[in-house]
Amino acid sequence: MWAKCTGDSVLVILEPKLQKDSFSKFFSGLEEKGYELTFRSPKDVKPAVIEYDEAKFSHVILFAPESKSFAQDVTPQSLVTLLSKHTNLLIALSPRQTPFTSLAAEFSLTLPPPGTPLISHFPTRNEPATVIPVSVAPSDILSPGLSPVWFSGVPFAYQNNPLLVPILNAPAESFASDSESDLGADALVDATDKGGEGLWAGSQLGLVAGFQALGGARATWVGGVELFSDEFFQKDLPGGGKPGNEQFASDVAAWTFQESLALRIDRVEHHRVNETVPGQTYTTNDQVVFTAYISRFNPVKSTWEPYSGIEDLQLEFTMLDPHIRTALPPVRGAPGKYSVTFRAPDRHGVFKFIIDYKRKGLTHLHSSTVVPLVPPRHDGYPRFLSAAWPYYVGAISTSVGFLLFSALWLAGDDRASAKKSTKTE
Amino acid sequence: MATTTAYQVPANLSPTAIANTSSLLRIVALALISAAAIASRLFAVINFESIIHEFDPWFNYRATKVLASEGFYAFWNWFDPTAWYPLGRVVGGTIYPGLMATSGVIFYALKAINLPVDIRNICVLLAPGFSALTAWATYMFTKEMKDESAGLLAAAFIGIVPGYISRSVAGSYDNEAIAIFLLMFTFYAWIKALKTGSAFFGTVAALFYFYMVAAWGGYAFITNMIPLHALALILMGRYSGRLYVGYSSWYAVGTLASMQVPFVGFQPVRTSEHMAALGVFGLLQIIAFAELVRSHVSSKQFRALLFASVIGLGLLGTAGIVGMTYKGWIAPWTGRFYSLWDTGYAKKYIPIIASVSEHQPTAWPSFFMDLQFLIFLFPAGVIMCFRQLRDEHVFVIIYAIVASYFAGVMVRLMLTLTPVVCVAAAIAFSTLLDTYLNPEQPEEETPSAAVPSTAAPSETSSAKKGKKAAPAPATLAELVSNATGPESTKRKTGIFGLDTRLLVILNALGMLVFFVWHCTWVTSSAYSSPSVVLASANPDGSQHIIDDFREAYYWLRQNTPEDAVVMSWWDYGYQIAGMADRPTLVDNNTWNNTHIATVGKAMSSTEEVAYPILRKHDVDYVLIIFGGLIGYSGDDINKFLWMVRIAQGVWPDEIQEPNYFTRTGEYKIDDQASQTMKDSLMYKMSYYRFAELFGGQQAVDRVRGQQVPKTGPTLDYLDEAFTSENWIVRIFQVKKEDLLGRDLKSANSFDQGKKKKRSKPSSRRRAIL
Repeated sequence: MWAKCTGDSVLVILEPKLQKDSFSKFFSGLEEKGYELTFRSPKDVKPAVIEYDEAKFSHVILFAPESKSFAQDVTPQSLVTLLSKHTNLLIALSPRQTPFTSLAAEFSLTLPPPGTPLISHFPTRNEPATVIPVSVAPSDILSPGLSPVWFSGVPFAYQNNPLLVPILNAPAESFASDSESDLGADALVDATDKGGEGLWAGSQLGLVAGFQALGGARATWVGGVELFSDEFFQKDLPGGGKPGNEQFASDVAAWTFQESLALRIDRVEHHRVNETVPGQTYTTNDQVVFTAYISRFNPVKSTWEPYSGIEDLQLEFTMLDPHIRTALPPVRGAPGKYSVTFRAPDRHGVFKFIIDYKRKGLTHLHSSTVVPLVPPRHDGYPRFLSAAWPYYVGAISTSVGFLLFSALWLAGDDRASAKKSTKTE
Repeated sequence: MATTTAYQVPANLSPTAIANTSSLLRIVALALISAAAIASRLFAVINFESIIHEFDPWFNYRATKVLASEGFYAFWNWFDPTAWYPLGRVVGGTIYPGLMATSGVIFYALKAINLPVDIRNICVLLAPGFSALTAWATYMFTKEMKDESAGLLAAAFIGIVPGYISRSVAGSYDNEAIAIFLLMFTFYAWIKALKTGSAFFGTVAALFYFYMVAAWGGYAFITNMIPLHALALILMGRYSGRLYVGYSSWYAVGTLASMQVPFVGFQPVRTSEHMAALGVFGLLQIIAFAELVRSHVSSKQFRALLFASVIGLGLLGTAGIVGMTYKGWIAPWTGRFYSLWDTGYAKKYIPIIASVSEHQPTAWPSFFMDLQFLIFLFPAGVIMCFRQLRDEHVFVIIYAIVASYFAGVMVRLMLTLTPVVCVAAAIAFSTLLDTYLNPEQPEEETPSAAVPSTAAPSETSSAKKGKKAAPAPATLAELVSNATGPESTKRKTGIFGLDTRLLVILNALGMLVFFVWHCTWVTSSAYSSPSVVLASANPDGSQHIIDDFREAYYWLRQNTPEDAVVMSWWDYGYQIAGMADRPTLVDNNTWNNTHIATVGKAMSSTEEVAYPILRKHDVDYVLIIFGGLIGYSGDDINKFLWMVRIAQGVWPDEIQEPNYFTRTGEYKIDDQASQTMKDSLMYKMSYYRFAELFGGQQAVDRVRGQQVPKTGPTLDYLDEAFTSENWIVRIFQVKKEDLLGRDLKSANSFDQGKKKKRSKPSSRRRAIL
């Protein structure tokens, strides 16, 4: 049994219209990986997704693209709450408008008007124009060298959100329209122009998009649920050959459920050079060593393994603004260890060691360690400065002069007064 | 008897017996005065509890705790990362450590003799304890001016005068608590040094000056008073060797010692405030040298030499100071100094100083409130000083003039006026008593018809009346001893009869009684409130304690993570640090104007503008004071304009004060309030859900006396975390960035289930077409 990175309980909310059997390959693939699947229909009350303010499942698959009514515990708001509780979501859409159409907008995805599926007439094939083979662009999330995948459903436009991770984009010659006939092409252009939205067309449209939420959870939006169906898994491509759907679905699920590209910072350490104990405070201009240990989840062994593959990691030493921003390179020979030595700035204050590593597809790495940077102690300043010699000489000469004067005064008083008195007399 | 007397005095007393009795009476009187001084300051503890008051004392208390628990060197090097987050504060180098060191010494001394006393109790009771010492120091000082009886009167006055009590009630653990004692004692030692020409007393003055420098920023008052006095004496042609020795030993030792305080450092030789002392020191050397030369050369040569050298050196010295100021070696006058001369200066250029209520000019009634009948006697006492005009009297006169001016400029400086008022009033009052208690009558008068048997009881009864009458017998005894002595000069002027004497004396005693009455009343009703705890009266007259501040601070302490940063207006920084133990952005140590202005900007901007500021400073909670529900007028909405002004000083393009007024120029919070006002974070936080409290009735702000709009403001970037019982303290939590990268406003409307408008695809797509 494989223990998963964030847990292995999966709730599948499956529309009654969709047969569980028609997705058997996808589901059994998940079960083979060790996930425990629980099925419920959208209107079922049990099992609840959130109970006593706690998420009951580690992952939720929402395959209800056409349902309009859900049980009370499944709302757009509750799904966002799930994300905040580190539950991963896999959500399928369809051209029909459902409560979750509006949710997509919250994830910075814009859906076309209801009832406008993606249409493409290329390449020439027997299937209807809405069933499209889409070639897969290489991505870290997906296995390399995937064959094109069958897709049928609704495209969406990406808004400007750095948290979005496009996984599959529409073919360049595809477009979204409510009419499937070729005759209405001009009418289509007219209509879209009137809408002021331009033409829903081209490779800028997304079909499958991941979303890396700030809390660490992941959500994946899929334009059509058929992509995961047994039928699409097996349907031959127009040019012959197996489609990549099965592997694609498995990869997408793996990414969504945080099997692949999951990183974490195990711990961070900081101390002065030549010391090992972390300092409570540092003094300005100290040489400070900062070390971070980073692991990556290995889905095969389902363990966290030290990971030294990040080359562009940076460390910031920040008080309001970064006073120091430096590369945090991996240490050779020590897997997973990233370390840097730097001189603390000549400015006291409350500083933070910050690692903020956000890359598309990868788990965001964020670590912030607060440490006060203090001025030197009263006895920590250098003594006997060469620049202060005038003062030393002044002090010493005054002391010596005083001693000499006192000695002369005391010793010479009698005679001097005697002389004086004799002279005056 | 050589002269006629108004009443019988015992004649057969030996001078030793009189001296012994009077000294015993003096000691008893001083002890009683000390007891009265301490006792009257305990109102705060009795009415409320043994608690640290107000704002600054909370910091002093916290610092003292560090000193007591971690030792002196840790305190010396203390860097406080929780204050002025994230700048931090080098506490050891930015405070006057005298107060904490005093408490620490007392704490360790008591511990050494196995008396474990809680450091809090030492802090609370330090001010009353030192007020007793102040009474003693004032006694010594006044004794030098006139005599012991005036000294006792002055001690009694300073012991209970409200002007000093206002800063030294139990729990008012502030620098002023010990500073007034040090001030008076330094002055005493200076007068003593001047009178005797003793280097020893000059050094004593210097040591106490050092203590004063270590204790209070007001030491600059001494730094300028003593040179001023010396200069006045020189100009009056009263230069003497005594002056030279006293001043030189005070200045040399005192300045070197004061430079050991890290916060002062090289200021005594680098800033304009200290230049007077240096200049007078140089002048004294020149004059001393001139005197030396004069004793060796002929007077004609000397005159020419003097003329040339004085002019030459004077020009050289002035040019030197001006040149060094110009070159930046000497810092020019600071803004705080200018604000003493031009009361409008601070408001124009340094709003942060003007925003403090104790920096406002003094209102007339407060002179009477703080000094009562002493303020009438004060000029009389100053005139009495002119009658003799010895060197030390010049000091009192200068002190009186300077302190009167400063007290008129700033409420806070009433404190420095109070001692000299007590001294001058005591001189006047004791002269009055001397005159009217003197049993001698002028010569021309026929023998007195007064009955001695009635005079004696009145005298004893007045002696019994209390400590203030105590000096009378001593004075009387001396006078009598003088009268019975060999002195035989006949008096031409004087008082006839007993009735006149009784009338005046009874009147004077009545004034004293009313003074005591007034002081007690003012102390108990006005100056003993800790301001952390508020008191109000129930309908049945019993006391009702409003404890919102501590309620809220303890909530913070117990419900928030230890490193949660709290933003509030700077007034509450020390209290939050002291009671809630949480990092604060700004506090009462207003050393960084920009940081305060940042908080001001966050408070006076819209949520959208404020949020990035809050996030940048890692703010977790925002704390505000709101008095609208119970009518607590010292709340943040009333201080709000200062926040705006201070922010405007730094960001004149973004924050503009006129925007916060209505179109007719009024400061309003009701429906007519300007949009900028309504959008400001401070307004939103203050009135968030306020109208709901009235259940559909018209919501009324009791401080402003205005009606609050029925639909209150909404908050998207903050969550209400806590509101205290009477709504005085409201705490808001700053939300984290949205999970999905949305702005919090739209996230909030999504959470509330509002339908989002179907957004159009981003322009990126259109650009391709």
